[in-house]
Amino acid sequence: METKIKKIMSIVFDAQVENLGGNPSPDTLEAWDSLNHMKLISSLEEEFGIQFDDDDILNMKDYHSVQSILSKHLEKI
Amino acid sequence: MKEISYIELLEENQRLGKQQKGARYNLAVLSNVTVNLCKEVFEYYLRCENINAHVKIGDYDNIVQDTLKNQDANVVIIFWEIGNAIDGLQFKANLFDDKEIDAIFEKLKSEIDLVVQNLAGNSLVLINKFSTYAFSGFNLKKDKFEKLADDLNEYLQAKATVNIKLVDIEKIFAQIGLKQSMDYRGFYSSRSLYSVEFFKAYAQYVNPVILSVNGNSKKALILDCDNTLWKGVLGEDGFDNIEMSAQTKDGAVYAEIQSLILSLCKEGVIIGLCSKNNEQDIQEVISTHPDMLLKDEHISVKKINWLDKPQNLREIAQELNIGLESIVIIDDSSFEVNFIKNELPGITALQVPERVHDYPLFFRKTMQLFYKPSITPEDLKKTQMYKQQVIRENSKKQFSNIEEYLKSLALKVMVLEGNDKLVPRLSQLSQKTNQFNLTTKRYTEEDIKKIVKDDLKKIMAFSVSDKFGDSGITGMAVINLERQLSRAHIESYMLSCRVIGRNIEFALMDYIVGSLKEKGFKKVTASYIPTAKNGITQNFYDQCGYKQTGLSNNVHDYALEIDQYQPKNFDYLEVINGNKNKENYVHCI
Repeated sequence: METKIKKIMSIVFDAQVENLGGNPSPDTLEAWDSLNHMKLISSLEEEFGIQFDDDDILNMKDYHSVQSILSKHLEKI
Repeated sequence: MKEISYIELLEENQRLGKQQKGARYNLAVLSNVTVNLCKEVFEYYLRCENINAHVKIGDYDNIVQDTLKNQDANVVIIFWEIGNAIDGLQFKANLFDDKEIDAIFEKLKSEIDLVVQNLAGNSLVLINKFSTYAFSGFNLKKDKFEKLADDLNEYLQAKATVNIKLVDIEKIFAQIGLKQSMDYRGFYSSRSLYSVEFFKAYAQYVNPVILSVNGNSKKALILDCDNTLWKGVLGEDGFDNIEMSAQTKDGAVYAEIQSLILSLCKEGVIIGLCSKNNEQDIQEVISTHPDMLLKDEHISVKKINWLDKPQNLREIAQELNIGLESIVIIDDSSFEVNFIKNELPGITALQVPERVHDYPLFFRKTMQLFYKPSITPEDLKKTQMYKQQVIRENSKKQFSNIEEYLKSLALKVMVLEGNDKLVPRLSQLSQKTNQFNLTTKRYTEEDIKKIVKDDLKKIMAFSVSDKFGDSGITGMAVINLERQLSRAHIESYMLSCRVIGRNIEFALMDYIVGSLKEKGFKKVTASYIPTAKNGITQNFYDQCGYKQTGLSNNVHDYALEIDQYQPKNFDYLEVINGNKNKENYVHCI
């Protein structure tokens, strides 16, 4: 899952996976703005076959929170 | 065929963006809701067609103001959401009294007027029709909100000028379903209404329109025969057992397909056959089968043999003198379709759907690839003209010397001054001519009308005839007249690929320079702008005796002193001034 998320992030934020760092967030990554956040959400939903709630979207504040929210949804399936 | 996923699309779009070579093609998307997710989607589908597309999203809810900032965009697309025309209109409308509704209607009308006025000079503007479907899907009778949308659409329709195309987005909702089209979660949090799926369907729906003004629409439909034109395999099932009769279950599908092919043919799409079969057997079906609707008179080119299909398609492209990217081929074999795609990446190769009853819908979708803004008299004669072209190509093989061959053709070129009746054809010519086109400047019908009226510009239209037939209007030059300096500038010079290779371009240059000389001009300037497709013209002005005077931003400038011009005076090319003879004039249009 980790490589898949990082890969998606690297495409959405147009950055090399190596340059994303351990826990990228809007603070460390200039490209992580609200528009790219929407792209990230759409990509993750399609690739993992899930749908996030409004709160999830607001709570995804960095890589780790993306990962844990995603895991929560994948357990439900 | 599986649709590309969004993340694949984002990645592909980045890759395609890096390898695009052509001129930048700018799209501006203006909206009163958030539509930012459309950017890469719209770019991707155009970049797949080798258009170097760049999408700019306008400021949120700034449609009218943004029209002023985007008067140089190649395409402007407007997503005007009635639900957000004033905040919460989708639920407020029914609480408003007639007066209040009227006030909103008036406000939007005046905004529409401004948009139409500000974008009058843009070559293409796509405006989505107002739709309430996002909010009114359950209504049993029309409410005020829906009536307002109806009134606005009527107004929009009445106001739309030729450069404006209205997009019926409800058809896209119908295609993929409302639930898949909308993202209400985004609407209430950030006023973004549409899903990525919607934008994908939208891009594919409107692309033929964009491609058609960009000179990239498809020109020829080449069909396999067995299980493509009829049900069954002729070589195995036999003449009597192939099905295309409206009276049988599967036959009815093929009767419908053949009728659809005929309607494409009527609109000027070139129809051809490419099939692995015995030529005689297929010819027998075409000539004598009682259920066969497609006849020889509709078919411009046939390759019925056992050679491989990519080879046959290359020959078809050459004989018709069109690019592979202008060809769509339909075949029932996945092997052939993949083989063709691998060998000829530019071509559009499609496979007949596995279930016969899916074929008509698939075919109707494919038909849209041949979209044309308007049908001209040349389109109606096209089958005949392309047939002549194929005969001409084949008779070329009999002559060892090309000059001998050209002499045998009895070529005549007629020159006409641009006039209102020629407007649709001249615009179409500029949009479709890619190879022999020195500057590849595209003109909309509006543009041509302006030039016809302009005293400082001159349009010359050319038609070519030979002993096989008349090509109709197949070339034009746009010339700017700087009378005070006794100087003329050739803004555009193009010839349809159907008439190149006959030295006509030189005979016309003789004519143009000759007639400028007569009017007292001393100097002609011209430019050549290279593109991926017009390599054939790179030495044209040199060959005509022009001197290169400069090169900047990909534009090669040329100049010619008229009294030093050496006419080519080909004795086998007769150039006639069509304006002197009213009869010719009518005949040509």
